Amino acid sequence: MPNRTLKGRVVVEGHCKARALVSAKPISFLGGVDPATGKIIEKDHDLCGESVKGKILCFPHGHGSTVGSYVLYSLSKRRLAPKAIINQTADPVVVVGAIIANIPMMDQVDISEIKTGDLIEVDGREGVVRIVAKGEG
Amino acid sequence: MYLTKEEERIYDGERGWTNQMCMRILVRLGELFNAAKLVRISSAHVSGVSYKTLGDAPAEFLEALANAGGNVKVRATLNPQSLDTEYLGRKLEQSLREKQSNILKQFERMGFTESLTCTPYYLKKPKSDSHLAWAESSAVVYANSVIGAWTNREGGPSALAAAIIGKTPDYGIHKPENRQPKALVTVDTALKNPTEFGALGIYLGRLLRDGIPAIQGLGDTSENCLKQLSAALASTGMVNMFHFKRKSQAKTERLEKVCVEARDIKNTVESLSTREVSKPDLVFIGCPHCSLGEIKKIALLMKDKKVKKETEFWVCTSHYIKEKAGEYVVQIEKNGGHVLAGVCTIVSWTEKLGIRTIMTNSAKTAYYAPTMNKAEVTFRPLKECLTTALRG
Repeated sequence: MPNRTLKGRVVVEGHCKARALVSAKPISFLGGVDPATGKIIEKDHDLCGESVKGKILCFPHGHGSTVGSYVLYSLSKRRLAPKAIINQTADPVVVVGAIIANIPMMDQVDISEIKTGDLIEVDGREGVVRIVAKGEG
Repeated sequence: MYLTKEEERIYDGERGWTNQMCMRILVRLGELFNAAKLVRISSAHVSGVSYKTLGDAPAEFLEALANAGGNVKVRATLNPQSLDTEYLGRKLEQSLREKQSNILKQFERMGFTESLTCTPYYLKKPKSDSHLAWAESSAVVYANSVIGAWTNREGGPSALAAAIIGKTPDYGIHKPENRQPKALVTVDTALKNPTEFGALGIYLGRLLRDGIPAIQGLGDTSENCLKQLSAALASTGMVNMFHFKRKSQAKTERLEKVCVEARDIKNTVESLSTREVSKPDLVFIGCPHCSLGEIKKIALLMKDKKVKKETEFWVCTSHYIKEKAGEYVVQIEKNGGHVLAGVCTIVSWTEKLGIRTIMTNSAKTAYYAPTMNKAEVTFRPLKECLTTALRG
Protein backbone atom coordinates (compact mmCIF):
# COMPACT_ATOMS: atom_id res chain seq x y z
CA MET A 1 0.00 0.00 0.00
CA PRO A 2 1.37 3.43 -0.91
CA ASN A 3 2.02 5.96 1.86
CA ARG A 4 -1.00 7.97 2.89
CA THR A 5 -0.21 11.70 3.27
CA LEU A 6 -2.25 14.05 5.48
CA LYS A 7 -1.88 17.81 5.28
CA GLY A 8 -1.64 20.02 8.35
CA ARG A 9 -0.15 23.15 9.89
CA VAL A 10 3.23 23.13 11.62
CA VAL A 11 3.02 24.54 15.15
CA VAL A 12 6.43 23.46 16.44
CA GLU A 13 9.08 22.46 13.88
CA GLY A 14 10.64 19.01 13.87
CA HIS A 15 10.84 15.73 12.02
CA CYS A 16 10.28 12.28 13.47
CA LYS A 17 8.92 8.80 12.86
CA ALA A 18 7.19 6.66 15.50
CA ARG A 19 4.07 4.62 16.33
CA ALA A 20 0.84 6.57 16.77
CA LEU A 21 -1.24 6.64 19.95
CA VAL A 22 -4.66 7.99 18.96
CA SER A 23 -7.60 9.19 21.01
CA ALA A 24 -10.92 10.65 19.95
CA LYS A 25 -11.08 12.48 23.29
CA PRO A 26 -9.42 15.74 24.40
CA ILE A 27 -6.56 15.38 26.91
CA SER A 28 -6.00 17.45 30.03
CA PHE A 29 -2.32 17.23 30.87
CA LEU A 30 -2.81 18.54 34.41
CA GLY A 31 -4.43 15.69 36.30
CA GLY A 32 -4.84 13.61 33.14
CA VAL A 33 -1.21 12.54 32.59
CA ASP A 34 1.12 11.44 35.39
CA PRO A 35 4.35 13.49 35.06
CA ALA A 36 6.29 10.78 36.95
CA THR A 37 5.37 7.85 34.66
CA GLY A 38 4.08 9.37 31.42
CA LYS A 39 0.88 7.35 31.72
CA ILE A 40 -2.59 8.68 31.03
CA ILE A 41 -4.42 8.49 34.35
CA GLU A 42 -7.70 10.27 33.63
CA LYS A 43 -10.45 7.81 34.52
CA ASP A 44 -12.93 7.10 31.73
CA HIS A 45 -10.38 8.24 29.11
CA ASP A 46 -10.07 5.84 26.19
CA LEU A 47 -6.26 5.89 26.61
CA CYS A 48 -6.30 5.46 30.42
CA GLY A 49 -3.28 3.37 31.44
CA GLU A 50 -1.37 3.97 28.16
CA SER A 51 2.07 5.57 28.22
CA VAL A 52 2.66 8.56 25.92
CA LYS A 53 6.45 8.00 25.96
CA GLY A 54 8.02 7.85 22.51
CA LYS A 55 4.64 7.84 20.73
CA ILE A 56 3.22 10.31 18.27
CA LEU A 57 0.26 11.40 20.34
CA CYS A 58 -2.83 12.23 18.26
CA PHE A 59 -5.91 13.77 19.90
CA PRO A 60 -8.50 16.40 18.95
CA HIS A 61 -7.27 19.18 21.31
CA GLY A 62 -6.26 19.87 24.90
CA HIS A 63 -8.47 21.11 27.71
CA GLY A 64 -8.20 22.04 31.37
CA SER A 65 -5.73 24.09 33.38
CA THR A 66 -2.90 26.05 31.75
CA VAL A 67 -0.58 24.36 34.28
CA GLY A 68 -0.86 21.42 31.87
CA SER A 69 1.79 23.09 29.68
CA TYR A 70 4.36 22.61 32.45
CA VAL A 71 3.48 18.90 32.66
CA LEU A 72 4.71 18.46 29.07
CA TYR A 73 7.98 20.16 30.04
CA SER A 74 8.34 17.83 33.01
CA LEU A 75 7.68 14.73 30.87
CA SER A 76 10.32 15.83 28.41
CA LYS A 77 12.92 16.37 31.18
CA ARG A 78 12.28 12.78 32.33
CA ARG A 79 12.38 11.43 28.75
CA LEU A 80 8.74 10.40 29.07
CA ALA A 81 7.32 12.85 26.53
CA PRO A 82 5.59 11.94 23.30
CA LYS A 83 7.88 12.16 20.24
CA ALA A 84 5.40 14.47 18.52
CA ILE A 85 1.88 15.81 18.99
CA ILE A 86 -0.81 15.94 16.32
CA ASN A 87 -4.04 17.80 17.04
CA GLN A 88 -7.17 18.54 15.10
CA THR A 89 -7.30 22.04 16.64
CA ALA A 90 -4.36 23.45 18.58
CA ASP A 91 -5.24 25.14 21.87
CA PRO A 92 -3.01 27.37 24.04
CA VAL A 93 -2.29 24.78 26.74
CA VAL A 94 -0.84 22.19 24.35
CA VAL A 95 0.86 24.75 22.07
CA VAL A 96 2.74 26.36 24.97
CA GLY A 97 3.56 22.91 26.38
CA ALA A 98 4.98 21.72 23.03
CA ILE A 99 7.09 24.89 22.67
CA ILE A 100 8.65 24.77 26.13
CA ALA A 101 9.20 21.00 25.95
CA ASN A 102 10.46 21.25 22.36
CA ILE A 103 8.07 18.60 21.06
CA PRO A 104 7.32 18.76 17.30
CA MET A 105 3.67 19.58 16.83
CA MET A 106 1.16 19.91 14.00
CA ASP A 107 -2.52 20.77 13.94
CA GLN A 108 -5.37 20.94 11.40
CA VAL A 109 -4.72 17.27 10.65
CA ASP A 110 -7.59 14.82 10.10
CA ILE A 111 -6.61 12.43 12.89
CA SER A 112 -9.52 10.06 12.15
CA GLU A 113 -7.31 8.69 9.32
CA ILE A 114 -4.67 7.58 11.86
CA LYS A 115 -5.05 4.46 14.01
CA THR A 116 -3.18 3.52 17.18
CA GLY A 117 -0.17 1.41 16.22
CA ASP A 118 0.28 2.95 12.75
CA LEU A 119 3.88 3.90 11.98
CA ILE A 120 3.71 7.57 11.05
CA GLU A 121 6.13 10.29 10.07
CA VAL A 122 5.75 13.94 11.05
CA ASP A 123 7.45 16.14 8.47
CA GLY A 124 7.70 19.66 9.83
CA ARG A 125 9.36 20.97 6.69
CA GLU A 126 6.64 19.93 4.25
CA GLY A 127 3.85 20.36 6.79
CA VAL A 128 2.56 16.83 6.28
CA VAL A 129 1.99 13.62 8.24
CA ARG A 130 2.75 10.36 6.37
CA ILE A 131 1.24 7.03 7.35
CA VAL A 132 4.24 4.82 6.59
CA ALA A 133 2.76 1.49 7.68
CA LYS A 134 -0.57 0.48 9.14
CA GLY A 135 -0.47 -1.08 12.58
CA GLU A 136 -1.08 -4.78 13.01
CA GLY A 137 -4.56 -5.86 14.02
CA MET B 1 2.60 38.05 12.19
CA TYR B 2 4.70 41.20 11.94
CA LEU B 3 7.78 41.34 14.18
CA THR B 4 10.09 44.33 14.64
CA LYS B 5 13.83 43.86 14.02
CA GLU B 6 14.44 43.56 17.76
CA GLU B 7 11.59 41.07 18.22
CA GLU B 8 13.07 38.98 15.41
CA ARG B 9 16.46 38.99 17.11
CA ILE B 10 14.86 37.75 20.31
CA TYR B 11 12.94 35.09 18.34
CA ASP B 12 16.18 33.93 16.71
CA GLY B 13 17.88 33.55 20.08
CA GLU B 14 20.25 36.52 19.99
CA ARG B 15 19.02 37.64 23.43
CA GLY B 16 19.40 34.29 25.18
CA TRP B 17 17.36 31.14 25.68
CA THR B 18 14.78 32.51 28.14
CA ASN B 19 13.85 35.45 25.93
CA GLN B 20 13.72 33.21 22.87
CA MET B 21 11.47 30.70 24.63
CA CYS B 22 9.10 33.43 25.82
CA MET B 23 9.03 35.11 22.39
CA ARG B 24 8.24 31.78 20.73
CA ILE B 25 5.30 31.31 23.13
CA LEU B 26 3.90 34.77 22.34
CA VAL B 27 4.39 34.49 18.57
CA ARG B 28 2.83 31.03 18.33
CA LEU B 29 -0.16 32.05 20.44
CA GLY B 30 -0.48 35.19 18.32
CA GLU B 31 -0.51 33.10 15.15
CA LEU B 32 -3.08 30.77 16.67
CA PHE B 33 -5.44 33.71 17.30
CA ASN B 34 -4.56 35.67 14.14
CA ALA B 35 -2.78 38.57 15.87
CA ALA B 36 -1.06 40.94 13.42
CA LYS B 37 1.60 42.10 15.90
CA LEU B 38 2.65 42.31 19.55
CA VAL B 39 1.56 45.22 21.79
CA ARG B 40 3.44 46.70 24.73
CA ILE B 41 1.93 45.98 28.14
CA SER B 42 2.19 48.06 31.30
CA SER B 43 1.98 45.05 33.64
CA ALA B 44 1.68 41.28 33.80
CA HIS B 45 -0.03 39.21 36.47
CA VAL B 46 0.87 35.52 36.68
CA SER B 47 -1.35 32.74 38.01
CA GLY B 48 -0.06 29.30 38.95
CA VAL B 49 1.87 30.07 42.13
CA SER B 50 0.36 27.61 44.62
CA TYR B 51 2.36 24.39 45.00
CA LYS B 52 -0.93 22.60 45.68
CA THR B 53 -2.26 23.26 42.18
CA LEU B 54 1.11 23.33 40.37
CA GLY B 55 2.77 20.21 41.68
CA ASP B 56 6.45 19.66 40.85
CA ALA B 57 6.52 20.14 37.08
CA PRO B 58 6.43 23.96 36.82
CA ALA B 59 9.14 24.53 39.42
CA GLU B 60 11.63 22.86 37.08
CA PHE B 61 10.66 25.11 34.19
CA LEU B 62 10.72 28.26 36.32
CA GLU B 63 14.14 27.31 37.64
CA ALA B 64 15.46 26.75 34.11
CA LEU B 65 14.18 30.18 33.04
CA ALA B 66 15.71 31.86 36.09
CA ASN B 67 19.02 29.99 35.65
CA ALA B 68 19.21 31.23 32.06
CA GLY B 69 18.93 34.80 33.30
CA GLY B 70 15.20 35.39 32.81
CA ASN B 71 14.12 38.82 33.99
CA VAL B 72 10.80 40.65 33.80
CA LYS B 73 10.58 43.76 31.59
CA VAL B 74 7.45 45.24 33.19
CA ARG B 75 5.79 45.31 36.59
CA ALA B 76 4.89 41.68 37.18
CA THR B 77 2.75 40.48 40.06
CA LEU B 78 1.90 37.00 41.39
CA ASN B 79 -1.30 35.22 42.44
CA PRO B 80 -1.68 33.91 46.01
CA GLN B 81 0.22 30.87 47.29
CA SER B 82 -0.97 27.75 49.13
CA LEU B 83 0.08 28.72 52.66
CA ASP B 84 1.39 31.59 54.75
CA THR B 85 4.41 31.21 56.98
CA GLU B 86 2.70 32.67 60.04
CA TYR B 87 -0.40 30.50 60.43
CA LEU B 88 -1.13 27.75 57.88
CA GLY B 89 2.56 27.00 57.28
CA ARG B 90 2.99 26.01 60.92
CA LYS B 91 0.16 23.47 60.71
CA LEU B 92 1.52 21.73 57.59
CA GLU B 93 4.49 19.47 56.94
CA GLN B 94 7.87 21.03 56.22
CA SER B 95 8.20 19.54 52.72
CA LEU B 96 5.15 21.50 51.55
CA ARG B 97 6.57 24.73 52.95
CA GLU B 98 9.90 24.09 51.24
CA LYS B 99 8.40 23.28 47.85
CA GLN B 100 6.13 26.32 47.98
CA SER B 101 9.02 28.51 48.99
CA ASN B 102 11.17 27.19 46.13
CA ILE B 103 8.51 28.23 43.60
CA LEU B 104 8.43 31.75 45.05
CA LYS B 105 12.23 31.89 45.00
CA GLN B 106 12.33 31.23 41.24
CA PHE B 107 9.78 33.98 40.57
CA GLU B 108 11.72 36.35 42.81
CA ARG B 109 14.97 35.62 40.94
CA MET B 110 13.25 36.78 37.75
CA GLY B 111 12.17 40.06 39.31
CA PHE B 112 8.54 39.36 40.12
CA THR B 113 6.91 41.49 42.83
CA GLU B 114 5.94 39.19 45.70
CA SER B 115 2.42 40.56 45.63
CA LEU B 116 0.75 37.18 46.21
CA THR B 117 -2.75 38.42 45.59
CA CYS B 118 -5.66 37.93 43.21
CA THR B 119 -6.46 41.67 43.50
CA PRO B 120 -3.26 43.27 42.13
CA TYR B 121 -5.31 46.39 41.30
CA TYR B 122 -5.38 47.29 45.03
CA LEU B 123 -1.56 47.48 45.01
CA LYS B 124 -1.27 49.59 41.89
CA LYS B 125 -4.31 50.43 39.81
CA PRO B 126 -3.57 50.15 36.06
CA LYS B 127 -4.35 53.17 33.92
CA SER B 128 -7.58 53.09 31.97
CA ASP B 129 -6.92 52.06 28.32
CA SER B 130 -3.56 50.45 29.18
CA HIS B 131 -2.77 46.99 27.76
CA LEU B 132 -2.05 44.24 30.30
CA ALA B 133 -1.33 40.50 30.29
CA TRP B 134 -3.15 39.24 33.37
CA ALA B 135 -3.93 35.63 34.15
CA GLU B 136 -6.19 35.65 37.21
CA SER B 137 -9.68 35.44 35.69
CA SER B 138 -11.45 37.51 38.39
CA ALA B 139 -8.86 40.28 38.01
CA VAL B 140 -9.10 40.10 34.19
CA VAL B 141 -12.85 40.76 34.23
CA TYR B 142 -12.42 43.51 36.87
CA ALA B 143 -9.59 45.19 34.94
CA ASN B 144 -11.51 45.25 31.64
CA SER B 145 -14.90 46.16 33.08
CA VAL B 146 -14.31 48.37 36.11
CA ILE B 147 -10.85 49.87 35.47
CA GLY B 148 -11.20 50.10 31.68
CA ALA B 149 -7.83 48.44 30.98
CA TRP B 150 -7.35 45.85 28.21
CA THR B 151 -6.36 42.25 28.94
CA ASN B 152 -7.15 38.82 27.57
CA ARG B 153 -7.66 36.00 30.01
CA GLU B 154 -4.08 34.73 29.95
CA GLY B 155 -2.92 31.35 31.17
CA GLY B 156 -0.09 31.11 33.72
CA PRO B 157 2.66 30.40 31.11
CA SER B 158 1.50 33.04 28.59
CA ALA B 159 1.37 35.75 31.28
CA LEU B 160 4.85 34.67 32.37
CA ALA B 161 6.16 34.97 28.80
CA ALA B 162 4.50 38.40 28.45
CA ALA B 163 6.13 39.56 31.71
CA ILE B 164 9.59 38.63 30.40
CA ILE B 165 9.10 40.14 26.92
CA GLY B 166 6.96 43.09 28.08
CA LYS B 167 4.49 42.51 25.26
CA THR B 168 1.47 40.40 24.38
CA PRO B 169 -0.08 39.32 21.05
CA ASP B 170 -2.63 41.86 19.77
CA TYR B 171 -5.86 39.84 19.58
CA GLY B 172 -9.15 39.31 21.39
CA ILE B 173 -10.05 41.94 23.94
CA HIS B 174 -7.10 44.18 22.85
CA LYS B 175 -9.17 45.01 19.75
CA PRO B 176 -12.01 47.53 20.25
CA GLU B 177 -14.36 45.53 18.01
CA ASN B 178 -14.13 42.57 20.40
CA ARG B 179 -15.20 44.66 23.41
CA GLN B 180 -18.72 45.29 22.16
CA PRO B 181 -21.65 43.80 24.13
CA LYS B 182 -23.47 40.78 22.71
CA ALA B 183 -26.36 40.74 25.19
CA LEU B 184 -28.39 43.37 27.00
CA VAL B 185 -29.07 42.16 30.53
CA THR B 186 -31.74 43.86 32.62
CA VAL B 187 -31.60 43.05 36.31
CA ASP B 188 -35.22 43.33 37.38
CA THR B 189 -34.60 43.09 41.12
CA ALA B 190 -32.62 45.16 43.62
CA LEU B 191 -29.47 43.21 44.51
CA LYS B 192 -29.10 43.45 48.28
CA ASN B 193 -25.41 42.76 48.92
CA PRO B 194 -22.10 41.67 47.31
CA THR B 195 -23.16 38.03 47.75
CA GLU B 196 -26.13 38.58 45.43
CA PHE B 197 -23.83 40.28 42.90
CA GLY B 198 -21.80 37.08 43.02
CA ALA B 199 -24.93 35.01 42.37
CA LEU B 200 -25.72 37.25 39.36
CA GLY B 201 -22.23 36.54 37.99
CA ILE B 202 -22.63 32.77 38.35
CA TYR B 203 -26.05 32.93 36.65
CA LEU B 204 -24.87 35.10 33.74
CA GLY B 205 -21.63 33.16 33.22
CA ARG B 206 -23.63 29.96 32.72
CA LEU B 207 -26.09 31.67 30.39
CA LEU B 208 -23.76 33.80 28.25
CA ARG B 209 -20.59 31.66 28.12
CA ASP B 210 -18.29 34.04 26.15
CA GLY B 211 -20.78 36.74 25.12
CA ILE B 212 -20.05 40.16 26.69
CA PRO B 213 -23.09 41.53 28.55
CA ALA B 214 -24.22 45.14 28.98
CA ILE B 215 -25.90 45.03 32.37
CA GLN B 216 -28.62 47.50 33.38
CA GLY B 217 -30.31 47.91 36.75
CA LEU B 218 -27.39 47.11 39.06
CA GLY B 219 -28.20 49.97 41.45
CA ASP B 220 -25.34 50.16 43.96
CA THR B 221 -22.16 49.55 41.99
CA SER B 222 -19.60 49.70 44.79
CA GLU B 223 -16.19 48.32 43.85
CA ASN B 224 -16.75 45.42 46.22
CA CYS B 225 -20.01 44.41 44.54
CA LEU B 226 -18.38 44.65 41.09
CA LYS B 227 -15.44 42.56 42.32
CA GLN B 228 -17.79 39.76 43.41
CA LEU B 229 -19.64 39.99 40.09
CA SER B 230 -16.35 39.82 38.14
CA ALA B 231 -15.04 36.79 40.02
CA ALA B 232 -18.29 34.85 39.70
CA LEU B 233 -18.81 35.68 36.02
CA ALA B 234 -15.31 34.36 35.27
CA SER B 235 -15.96 31.16 37.25
CA THR B 236 -18.85 29.84 35.18
CA GLY B 237 -18.27 31.68 31.89
CA MET B 238 -15.49 32.49 29.46
CA VAL B 239 -16.58 36.15 29.44
CA ASN B 240 -13.67 38.60 29.71
CA MET B 241 -15.69 41.69 30.56
CA PHE B 242 -19.07 43.29 31.16
CA HIS B 243 -20.45 46.79 30.64
CA PHE B 244 -22.45 48.46 33.40
CA LYS B 245 -22.30 52.20 32.69
CA ARG B 246 -25.07 53.75 30.62
CA LYS B 247 -22.76 55.70 28.31
CA SER B 248 -21.02 52.54 27.14
CA GLN B 249 -24.34 51.01 26.11
CA ALA B 250 -25.07 53.13 23.08
CA LYS B 251 -26.31 50.59 20.53
CA THR B 252 -28.51 48.14 22.35
CA GLU B 253 -31.36 47.59 19.88
CA ARG B 254 -29.82 44.63 18.11
CA LEU B 255 -28.54 42.83 21.21
CA GLU B 256 -29.95 39.62 22.56
CA LYS B 257 -32.16 40.56 25.55
CA VAL B 258 -31.91 38.83 28.91
CA CYS B 259 -34.03 39.64 31.95
CA VAL B 260 -32.83 38.52 35.38
CA GLU B 261 -35.58 38.27 37.99
CA ALA B 262 -35.55 37.94 41.77
CA ARG B 263 -36.21 34.20 41.58
CA ASP B 264 -33.17 33.67 39.29
CA ILE B 265 -30.94 35.24 41.94
CA LYS B 266 -32.67 33.31 44.75
CA ASN B 267 -32.33 29.99 42.89
CA THR B 268 -28.66 30.66 42.11
CA VAL B 269 -27.89 31.57 45.73
CA GLU B 270 -29.54 28.33 46.87
CA SER B 271 -27.77 26.24 44.23
CA LEU B 272 -24.36 27.44 45.45
CA SER B 273 -24.83 25.84 48.88
CA THR B 274 -24.12 22.12 48.70
CA ARG B 275 -25.44 21.68 52.23
CA GLU B 276 -26.95 23.89 54.92
CA VAL B 277 -24.38 23.71 57.71
CA SER B 278 -25.01 25.64 60.92
CA LYS B 279 -21.58 24.88 62.45
CA PRO B 280 -19.03 24.97 59.60
CA ASP B 281 -15.38 24.03 60.25
CA LEU B 282 -14.32 27.24 58.48
CA VAL B 283 -15.94 30.62 57.92
CA PHE B 284 -14.05 32.32 55.11
CA ILE B 285 -14.14 35.91 53.84
CA GLY B 286 -11.74 37.25 51.21
CA CYS B 287 -12.32 35.72 47.78
CA PRO B 288 -11.26 37.72 45.88
CA HIS B 289 -8.85 39.21 48.44
CA CYS B 290 -10.34 41.81 50.80
CA SER B 291 -9.91 45.53 50.29
CA LEU B 292 -9.00 47.81 53.18
CA GLY B 293 -12.67 48.86 53.39
CA GLU B 294 -13.87 45.27 53.73
CA ILE B 295 -11.41 44.48 56.53
CA LYS B 296 -12.50 47.61 58.35
CA LYS B 297 -16.14 46.57 57.94
CA ILE B 298 -15.45 43.07 59.31
CA ALA B 299 -13.65 44.53 62.33
CA LEU B 300 -16.50 46.96 63.02
CA LEU B 301 -19.16 44.26 62.70
CA MET B 302 -17.20 41.91 64.99
CA LYS B 303 -16.86 44.50 67.77
CA ASP B 304 -15.60 42.53 70.77
CA LYS B 305 -17.31 39.26 69.96
CA LYS B 306 -15.05 36.22 70.04
CA VAL B 307 -14.76 33.55 67.37
CA LYS B 308 -16.30 30.22 68.46
CA LYS B 309 -13.75 27.69 69.71
CA GLU B 310 -14.77 24.98 67.25
CA THR B 311 -14.68 27.35 64.22
CA GLU B 312 -11.82 28.65 62.09
CA PHE B 313 -12.41 32.21 60.89
CA TRP B 314 -10.18 33.37 58.02
CA VAL B 315 -9.99 36.74 56.30
CA CYS B 316 -7.73 36.60 53.24
CA THR B 317 -5.95 39.58 51.71
CA SER B 318 -2.58 40.70 50.36
CA HIS B 319 0.43 41.58 52.55
CA TYR B 320 0.07 45.15 51.29
CA ILE B 321 -3.52 45.56 52.49
CA LYS B 322 -2.90 43.65 55.72
CA GLU B 323 -0.16 46.09 56.63
CA LYS B 324 -2.40 49.07 55.86
CA ALA B 325 -5.23 47.59 57.93
CA GLY B 326 -3.05 47.40 61.08
CA GLU B 327 -5.53 48.31 63.82
CA TYR B 328 -8.40 46.32 62.26
CA VAL B 329 -6.17 43.27 61.85
CA VAL B 330 -5.22 43.49 65.52
CA GLN B 331 -8.88 43.62 66.51
CA ILE B 332 -9.90 40.65 64.31
CA GLU B 333 -6.99 38.54 65.55
CA LYS B 334 -7.48 39.53 69.21
CA ASN B 335 -10.96 38.05 68.93
CA GLY B 336 -9.73 34.77 67.51
CA GLY B 337 -9.93 35.38 63.75
CA HIS B 338 -6.97 35.01 61.35
CA VAL B 339 -6.09 37.60 58.73
CA LEU B 340 -4.07 35.51 56.26
CA ALA B 341 -1.87 37.41 53.82
CA GLY B 342 -0.86 36.12 50.39
CA VAL B 343 -2.98 32.97 50.64
CA CYS B 344 -6.06 31.74 48.81
CA THR B 345 -8.39 29.22 50.46
CA ILE B 346 -9.25 27.51 47.17
CA VAL B 347 -5.58 26.71 46.45
CA SER B 348 -4.64 25.98 50.09
CA TRP B 349 -4.48 22.59 51.86
CA THR B 350 -7.82 22.80 53.71
CA GLU B 351 -8.34 19.01 53.56
CA LYS B 352 -5.07 18.41 55.41
CA LEU B 353 -6.30 20.78 58.14
CA GLY B 354 -9.45 18.70 58.60
CA ILE B 355 -11.76 21.30 57.08
CA ARG B 356 -14.80 19.53 55.61
CA THR B 357 -17.41 22.31 55.71
CA ILE B 358 -16.94 25.94 54.64
CA MET B 359 -19.27 28.92 54.97
CA THR B 360 -18.38 31.85 52.70
CA ASN B 361 -19.81 35.05 51.24
CA SER B 362 -17.93 34.44 47.96
CA ALA B 363 -19.76 32.93 45.00
CA LYS B 364 -16.42 32.00 43.39
CA THR B 365 -15.32 30.00 46.44
CA ALA B 366 -18.77 28.43 46.73
CA TYR B 367 -18.46 27.35 43.10
CA TYR B 368 -14.92 25.90 43.34
CA ALA B 369 -14.57 24.58 46.92
CA PRO B 370 -16.63 21.38 46.44
CA THR B 371 -14.09 20.16 43.83
CA MET B 372 -10.90 22.05 44.77
CA ASN B 373 -11.21 21.57 48.54
CA LYS B 374 -13.53 18.53 48.62
CA ALA B 375 -15.65 20.53 51.08
CA GLU B 376 -19.36 21.08 51.61
CA VAL B 377 -20.23 24.74 51.15
CA THR B 378 -22.83 27.04 52.67
CA PHE B 379 -23.14 30.35 50.77
CA ARG B 380 -24.24 33.33 52.90
CA PRO B 381 -23.88 37.15 53.02
CA LEU B 382 -21.10 38.63 55.16
CA LYS B 383 -23.29 39.43 58.17
CA GLU B 384 -24.61 35.86 58.43
CA CYS B 385 -21.08 34.49 58.04
CA LEU B 386 -20.02 36.60 61.01
CA THR B 387 -23.04 35.60 63.12
CA THR B 388 -22.11 31.97 62.47
CA ALA B 389 -18.43 32.45 63.31
CA LEU B 390 -18.92 34.52 66.45
CA ARG B 391 -20.20 33.75 69.92
CA GLY B 392 -23.19 35.50 71.46
